[in-house]
Amino acid sequence: MSEAHAQPLASGGPADRAASRGRGVRALLVGIALLYVLVLIVAPLGGIIFYGLRSGLGAITDTFSQQDVVHAFYLTFVIMLIAVAVTTVLGLAVAFVLARDRFRGKSFLSALVNLPLAVSPVVVGLMAILLFGRGGWFEPFFTAQGIRIVFALPSMILVTIFISIPFVIREIVPLLEELGTEEEQAAWTLGASRLQTFFRITLPNIRWGLFYGMALSAARSIGEVGAVLVVSGLLQGQTETATLYILRAFDQYQPERGYIVALMLAAFSILLLIGIEMFKRRGLKRAGE
Amino acid sequence: MRRSRVILTALLAALVAVVTFTGCGGSDTASNASANSGSCTPSDSPVLTLAAYSNPYDAYGKLTSTFGAVWKEAHNGQQLIFQMSFGGSTTQAENIINGFQADVYASSLAPDIGLVEEEGLITHDWQSEQNGSIVQAGAVVFAVRPGNPKNIQNWNDLTQPGLQILTPDPSQSGGAKWNIVAAYGAAMRGEVPGYAKGSAEDAQRLLEGIFKNVTVLDKSANDSLKNFEAGNGDVAITYDYQAATSIAGGQEEEIVAPPSTVFIQTPTVVVDKNAQDHCVEPIAQKFVEYLHTPDAQEVFASVAHTRPVDITEAAKGTESVPPIDDLFTTDDIGGWDALINDTVFGPEGAFTQAFQAAKG
Amino acid sequence: MVADARSRIAGRARRDPGASSRWALRSTAFLYLGLFVLLPVAVILQRGYGSGLGNLEDALHSFGAWNAIRLTVVLAVVTAIVNGVFGTLLAYVLVRIPFPGREIVSAIVDLPFAIPSLVAGVMLVALYGPTSVVGGWFEDHGLKIIFAVPGILLALLFVTLPLVVRSVQPVLSELDREEEEAAHTLGAHGWTTFRKIVLPALRPAIVAGSLLVFARSLGEFGAIVFVAGNIPNQTLTAPVFITQLLSPGSYGQSGGPDQAAAVAGLLFGLAFIVVLLTEKLISGRLERTT
Repeated sequence: MSEAHAQPLASGGPADRAASRGRGVRALLVGIALLYVLVLIVAPLGGIIFYGLRSGLGAITDTFSQQDVVHAFYLTFVIMLIAVAVTTVLGLAVAFVLARDRFRGKSFLSALVNLPLAVSPVVVGLMAILLFGRGGWFEPFFTAQGIRIVFALPSMILVTIFISIPFVIREIVPLLEELGTEEEQAAWTLGASRLQTFFRITLPNIRWGLFYGMALSAARSIGEVGAVLVVSGLLQGQTETATLYILRAFDQYQPERGYIVALMLAAFSILLLIGIEMFKRRGLKRAGE
Repeated sequence: MRRSRVILTALLAALVAVVTFTGCGGSDTASNASANSGSCTPSDSPVLTLAAYSNPYDAYGKLTSTFGAVWKEAHNGQQLIFQMSFGGSTTQAENIINGFQADVYASSLAPDIGLVEEEGLITHDWQSEQNGSIVQAGAVVFAVRPGNPKNIQNWNDLTQPGLQILTPDPSQSGGAKWNIVAAYGAAMRGEVPGYAKGSAEDAQRLLEGIFKNVTVLDKSANDSLKNFEAGNGDVAITYDYQAATSIAGGQEEEIVAPPSTVFIQTPTVVVDKNAQDHCVEPIAQKFVEYLHTPDAQEVFASVAHTRPVDITEAAKGTESVPPIDDLFTTDDIGGWDALINDTVFGPEGAFTQAFQAAKG
Repeated sequence: MVADARSRIAGRARRDPGASSRWALRSTAFLYLGLFVLLPVAVILQRGYGSGLGNLEDALHSFGAWNAIRLTVVLAVVTAIVNGVFGTLLAYVLVRIPFPGREIVSAIVDLPFAIPSLVAGVMLVALYGPTSVVGGWFEDHGLKIIFAVPGILLALLFVTLPLVVRSVQPVLSELDREEEEAAHTLGAHGWTTFRKIVLPALRPAIVAGSLLVFARSLGEFGAIVFVAGNIPNQTLTAPVFITQLLSPGSYGQSGGPDQAAAVAGLLFGLAFIVVLLTEKLISGRLERTT
């Protein structure tokens, strides 16, 4: 999409002055925006990078040779994979219902999808405890089966799913609405089943939005700390995620390790998001959009 | 078309499966004998879970490791596995109440153990056990900048205008309660100049003066001291052994002991119900007994910088912590029950009133 | 004629298989959201309000309760407005103004999603706290940032910035430039064009994004608990207050999970209603214009 403004004539007249004023205004806007981003985001990120790398590569290899650290990362990624899988597959169903279906109460459903964004992490943990902890609604059932939910992996997975619900759905719904059903309807009249249509037509069309939503979901999952803190019980080397390890590292006077782990988490998420952006641009360029 | 119906039903089934699967995962993390207290056959490699307050992670790391080695020798190579969790004392108590399967609970103050006891999870008379179940001891002191630039010597010095004090949030930290009780007790015992002995109003006035100067309430004692070490505030009210550990770790701060302060006593007990359910009760009891042995006490002293459990010895100070003129226990000022429910933290208590006046 | 027949056949083919998969999708969606969202919400509401308003009353009698809620709501509104403005500005800059490093800035905007909130909080304290260069300067001149309300606002702005940008950016980049170009040839310059043509088109996206910011700000905990100071009636926010309620009384209040649930329910109930009402408003407006 190229700029289709008429180029001002180089004659130094009012059009020229307006153009240079326009350029000045644009530069000012860019300046303000950049300053805002600098103060708010770049500085803190720079701080994490600085503190993380300050102790040198030796500290980094040392950190990752700790069994607790390795297990924490392992736990974080297992939880993340499950949360992303669940919220993607089931989120697709919800997205279809929101974008394509018509019924009363659709706004209510849509607001439900956004609700996890508004719930404080501590409250999410409280929800899990009220449901599955001693005296909870489902506690007798699970205890009778010998299954431990709170202060064990399952509750950590469940709270992570809760906080990841909105991301895929919010990315896909506008895409589905924008795409419309023309291609799909064409496929149906040609005899394709709903499922074939979904996999061959719809999915490729929403591919990049879907990946982006999954990446956001993944980033959110690995960064979750408040809710997991409440339900994990903080068993070192057992129910400690990477973020909980960071908390403990700061607590136990090993802040370098905390910063290094934080940097790794941030780097993973950033690379994931940037990677998807890059592939998307390449994909769109190839598709000739 | 029928195929799609089948597949979409499979989708629903998958959802149900996921929910159940995440439930099944639970049995993995607590690899112990089953949760129901039927017949008790301990597993080959018994797992003991310790929930402790945030400070003594180094000490318990060493103690569990030593105990495990000794046990292995004495019991035909039986390998014990210790799972440890460190966090705020009151939070740990609540977690245990909510279902955290701790076999041993190391709290930073007796009332937290009371909370667990009230729920029926602790059934033995822990206060009659050896040393009243107290395994670590210390005193509330002030952490100040090198050279003590603000010249803080006693509790009344904390009320000077413009001073910035760090102390944690009593609703989340046990340490915070010790700090408050220390100030209250010192005033009540007449050891603070300007505050009459035995006067609850004066004690309240002291607390108000102190809390006027509190600008940050961190969620744990650890956080509070770290905040101070990061350069914020002029003085932190803290456990002496926590500050001593920091100093030993290279932090630049000094410990100032007020003439009169409270004797911190932190009990560690077996959580009977959980230990019984996991068939590790005898092992847990032996572990707690071990904590009172001279060897273990030596570890506490050298690694955690705590004082001897005996108050007379403790008042003399150690290499890491200064002597105290007037070291008193919570029993000397009425006992925890009265302090929590009435005189200090009760609705009309000295701290409650003082805090509202300071921050209202 | 042929087209009619074909669309009739298509219609029949559409209506029949459509029904079963539509119901399957609906059931999946309802079951998923019912189990994972409604159920947890229900348990909070039941524990908090199952015995009437008593829990809420007790909780609100706690020291600093009202101010905590008021502070949280006010800051959420301020954050929504500030990030609504700056987020839109950022989106505009990223879409319309080519400048060197634009791609990098675009990636940076997503960072708050990638950084754990507690790390952000720690960093903000290190960067803008009283012992830092910036923070120290401000404090010497009478403005406390960290451990005061500005610090809380800073943390909230950080955490919620991407929400508005990502909401506005796609709409802006899809916007048809015809109207703007027409205005340009008619002599309207930048700001007027923006105000009269671009902004109205963006308004639903800006509002939607700002709403999310509002909702998210009501619940933020991890970043705030480090930067705020948490002093009741001054810098105590509702989420931290809820955490305090979970512990049995230390400020003379009774506390307990039921009271915590009551306040929690109040907060996200507020968020829910605001989001719901505004969604209805937006979709209502959209249906009218199409």
